[in-house]
Amino acid sequence: MTALVLDDVSHNFGSRVALDHLTLTVRPGRVTALIGLNGAGKTTALRALTGRLRPTRGTARILGHNPADLPGDVAARFGHVVESPLVYPELTVTENLCCAARLHGQPGRATARGASAAVGRMGLGPWRHALARTLSMGNRQRLGIACATLHRPTALILDEPTSALDPQGVVLVRELVRELADDGAAVLVSSHHLDEVARIADEIVVLHAGRDVGRLEPGGTDLEQRFFAMVLAADSNSAKTRTADMEYRA
Amino acid sequence: MTPAAALRAALAIEALKLRRSAVARIASVLLVVLVPLASVGMVALARSPQAGGPTAAKLADYATGDLATTHLMVCAQVLSVAALAAGGFFVAWSFGRELESGTAGALFGLAVPRSTIALAKCLVTLAWIAGCVVLTVAVTVAASAVVAAVSGAPFAAWADVRTAVVAGLLGGGLALPFAWVATVTRSQLGTVGGLVGVVALTQMVVLLGGGSWFPYAAPSLWAGMGGADAAAAIGLPNLLLAAAGAPLAIAAVVDAWRRLTNV
Repeated sequence: MTALVLDDVSHNFGSRVALDHLTLTVRPGRVTALIGLNGAGKTTALRALTGRLRPTRGTARILGHNPADLPGDVAARFGHVVESPLVYPELTVTENLCCAARLHGQPGRATARGASAAVGRMGLGPWRHALARTLSMGNRQRLGIACATLHRPTALILDEPTSALDPQGVVLVRELVRELADDGAAVLVSSHHLDEVARIADEIVVLHAGRDVGRLEPGGTDLEQRFFAMVLAADSNSAKTRTADMEYRA
Repeated sequence: MTPAAALRAALAIEALKLRRSAVARIASVLLVVLVPLASVGMVALARSPQAGGPTAAKLADYATGDLATTHLMVCAQVLSVAALAAGGFFVAWSFGRELESGTAGALFGLAVPRSTIALAKCLVTLAWIAGCVVLTVAVTVAASAVVAAVSGAPFAAWADVRTAVVAGLLGGGLALPFAWVATVTRSQLGTVGGLVGVVALTQMVVLLGGGSWFPYAAPSLWAGMGGADAAAAIGLPNLLLAAAGAPLAIAAVVDAWRRLTNV
């Protein structure tokens, strides 16, 4: 069974096309990376997949269910960080983790243990009693990822998870994602960092102008070159299609 | 996770956030300290031989009558508006900042549903405002008893204690509709703007003589802010209409958070 599904999803913001018949699936045990230029539709796709945006057309499914209305037992196996994390600035790191654990359905007595493990896992020990508002951007990102993963989800969505992290944080997140996938989780990650994507992903989906324009193999040293070649080819195809359409109408 | 367990979790989290909220802390102090001070202070000023001019005219209603009764009448009048303002600012923060900062988006796909989180926010707001109202009236009673003891008059205004508590609770309950405003506008300042607008509208409705059936005016008028005749015109149906604001708002907010999209 596919754990994360976008099926023929389209969405417009006014007259601007954000997603154009996008179909995407992530199977258990796999890390799929979504890459694309700014405005390609990555975050919109992830918002549709997490239920935060009702697409104009098409369906999204998480573990077989509508993401906007997940049953509690299914939601307890799902985690995501898309744009803002589940972090409240007025709470400490440990309090944020305890709150996240409870919101993910963990019993009250287990939250302290889970929070402590997550603090150690993400290297947040020195800040465990610090208010989240006092954290650096990188540590805040570590905390957000910890809040989304401390319940060991079987379906995970991370939007630009390493954008503010130092090299140590990047390694921690990479290890965490790989470990969850090896345990059977389906992971969808969006990123601009092609090097990072090459190390973490089993499959790379290239999104351009809201469309899936192809797949890239994660291996090799020329990922950036292959990415731009694919994007340019997509632009060229779009231009040809538009020209043919205009000629047909004329 | 059962619905009861989900609500317990959401209540615990929202109560923690309330305890850490600067808005709630400031509003609590302002209510519990300033309202009793205003209640005792305005009566003292009204009865001071130095009072004169427009101040004396404005405070004429407080210049006579039983001391403790007058203290609690002022408390009820101030509290009916102050509890609304405090509650309105708090729901603007509690609901509006989640939508402004984007954490509302992180509340999707959780074992605790968004509608349960919204319900918990409303219940925690009501419990906090009720606690503040009771504490404010208790501090006013204590201050009044001290003033009464100094002046040799016995404290016997227990019926007015009930009026002050009910007026405060009604005013605080009427803050809940602004949780819906915050959800719709997705803005803390927009919600505060709505609150200011409703207070201004209330003044206009009262000036035009239609306050008894206007929920935001009824508690203050019942507490005597518009004089004895206006207070006598407020009956149980008027107060029940004002009291209906909170449950109706809770139902609307819970539904709005259940259907929330594009966050």
